[in-house]
Formats: sequence, structure tokens, C-alpha cells
Amino acid sequence: MAPLSHYLVLSGILFTIGVMGVLVRRNAIVVFMSIEIMLNAVNISLIAFDRYLGQHDGQIFSFMVMAVAAAEVSVGLAIVIAMFRNKPTINLDEFNLMKW
Amino acid sequence: MELLIFYPIAALAVVLALFVVFNKSPIGSAVSLIGLMLCLAGVFIGLSAHFVAILQVIIYAGAIMVLFMFVIMLLNLKDDDNVIWKSREGNTLLTVLTGFLVLGILYKIISITLSADSSKPAKIMESFGTTAEVGKSLFTTYVLPFEVASILLLVAMVGALVLAKTKID
Amino acid sequence: MRNDPNMSEYFFIAVFAVVALVVVAGILILSAVLGPKNPSPQKTVPYECGIIPTEEAKGRYPVRFATIAMLFIIFDIEVVFMYPWAVALDQLGFFGLIEMFLFIFILGIAYVYIWGRGGLEWD
Repeated sequence: MAPLSHYLVLSGILFTIGVMGVLVRRNAIVVFMSIEIMLNAVNISLIAFDRYLGQHDGQIFSFMVMAVAAAEVSVGLAIVIAMFRNKPTINLDEFNLMKW
Repeated sequence: MELLIFYPIAALAVVLALFVVFNKSPIGSAVSLIGLMLCLAGVFIGLSAHFVAILQVIIYAGAIMVLFMFVIMLLNLKDDDNVIWKSREGNTLLTVLTGFLVLGILYKIISITLSADSSKPAKIMESFGTTAEVGKSLFTTYVLPFEVASILLLVAMVGALVLAKTKID
Repeated sequence: MRNDPNMSEYFFIAVFAVVALVVVAGILILSAVLGPKNPSPQKTVPYECGIIPTEEAKGRYPVRFATIAMLFIIFDIEVVFMYPWAVALDQLGFFGLIEMFLFIFILGIAYVYIWGRGGLEWD
């Protein structure tokens, strides 16, 4: 195993890239992909700690994260399709109906 | 030896993540994300989490990205307009501040991580991270999350179907 | 890493990945370097024999594919939960059987709902 800090730094970098994607992009699907990057970054740190401590709990957690990610993706992309039906674009700036 | 394997995979993962965010075409982003998932499976193997590495390939690269591809091709998106890097009107100050905030968080994460003492990983058994070991833990200690996950999947299935089948007139 | 017997299995996967990358990159580079290039407008049309295409090749996919893929993902997760159960069942005993029955029962409700709602029909 490479040192734990390496994995945590990799996880931090990927999480930051995901945050940046969510903040910067306006394409709803790319924002979704950035959220997936963030979930995966968390998975890396869970599994790295898991290996470091020699337990299996983190792997169960990351398994649950994957299940939640799959559920989230299937509902989220259904929402994206529904948005696209309402208004033929997925630019998030166009969906400002509920903005105060 | 481990570092020799870890560094190329980690560097490739970071580069692919940047491709996901910076790519103009959504299909390009999706393909980069598939590559990123495969790289992370490699990282998990390096952590001897064999079962999770295979799950990463089956669930992420095999199922989730397929749905992303289908939706991108369903919506038939053109490449993004060239204004993605322009800040929203009146938000320039906020954008710059957010950028500094993100970099500050990353700096804090890295400095704390590198200063911690993490030189002694636990000794693990041969069977660490195999499907049987994870299964034993999942179906004894974590039975309740497992059953709750089924309710989550039930709700997700019903929600996805309602959203996909409802005609908006 | 070589002394870990679990890791040596991945050596073949690594070799396979490297060979695949080298072959693909090699073919692309060789054809770009060695192939003759004199493009003309006639060569870039989809049908070289003269039929003029009436619409773009990048058509929109019907929404049916995405709906099926959404349901597939959820059932995929359900099956993935069964892998560790099937491997560890001999140590779990009767209790493991009951919990998997409960799991499948709850997802069976969703299956009946989808069937009744017509989510599995193609049209």
C-alpha cells in the first residue's frame, strides 16, 4: 500500500475538480458527471482508511455510496429528460422559474 | 514498487477528471469519466479492495455511464456554446471568491493530510477485501442498511418510471 | 507487490491493457503516418456512389432506450447485492436466506408496479 496521505491527496484533488465542475459548468449532464466525480473521490478516501485500519466497514460504506449513486443517476437523468421536454435546453441558467 | 503503479494511475485519473470538466462535448466528458472510473478501479486494487474494484467496473463503468450515454444521445446535445467560461452577469466577484475558496479548501486538505502520521498501515489477512469477507460484514453487521437500500432502490425505480412515463402537455 | 498472491492475478489484466493500448495507438499512428492523404469533397460525403443524404446521421434516440436503461441500473444494483450474499451464504445460514427474501420482496413490489404501469412495454 502506498502511504495513506497519497490516497487522501488524490481524493482531495478529485473532489475539488468535481466541485469546480458543479460550480462552473451550466450543462446539466456535465454537472451530474461532476457530482459522480465527487462521490468517487469520497469512495477513495473511505477505502484508503479502510485498508489503513484493516477493517471492512469502509468498503460497505462505499458499496452503499454506489447504490445511492445509481439511484440518484436514474432519477436525476429522468428529471433532466423531463426538463428537456419542458424547454428544449439543458442549460441550467435557463431554468430560473423558481428564482426569487 | 507500489508508488510506481500508484503515481501513473493517479495522474491519469486527475487528467481525466479535468477532461470531464473542461470538455466541450458531453460525449467526450462521458468517455473521460469512464476512463476515470477504470483508473479508480485500479486505485482500489492497489488498496486490496478487490470486491469494490470489480463493483466500480460493473456499476459505474458498466451501468451508470451507459445511462449517461443514452441520455446524451437522446437529447442529441450540440457541443456547448463558447460562453462556458464567461461568468454570469454581475457575478464576477463571486466567481473569483469561489475560486479562491476552492483552492483554499484544497490547500487545507493537503496540508493537514501531509502533516498527519500515517506510516503504519494495519497488517491485513490474505482474504482482505474479497467478496466473501465483504459479504460476511455486509450481511451481519450492516443488515439494516442493506434492507434500507432495497427501499431506496424501490423509491428510485418508481420515481424514475413516473418521471419518464408522464407526458407533459 | 510480487509476494502478494492476490496481486499477481492482476498482472495479466495489466498486460492485456497495455497490449490493447499499444495496438490501438500503433494502428492509428501508423495509418496516420504511412497512409496517403489527398482529400476531396467527393470523398467526405456519406455515400460515395452518389446518393445525397437527406438527414443528419446524428439523429435523436427514442426515449424508450433511456427508460429501459434506468430500470436496468436499479436491477443491476439488486443483482450486485446478491454476489456477496451468494459467496457468504454458507456462513450466514438461515438468517441470510430470510434477509435476502425480504430484500427481493421489497424490490418485487417495485417490479410489480413497473409491470402494471407498463414500464416494460416497448411502445
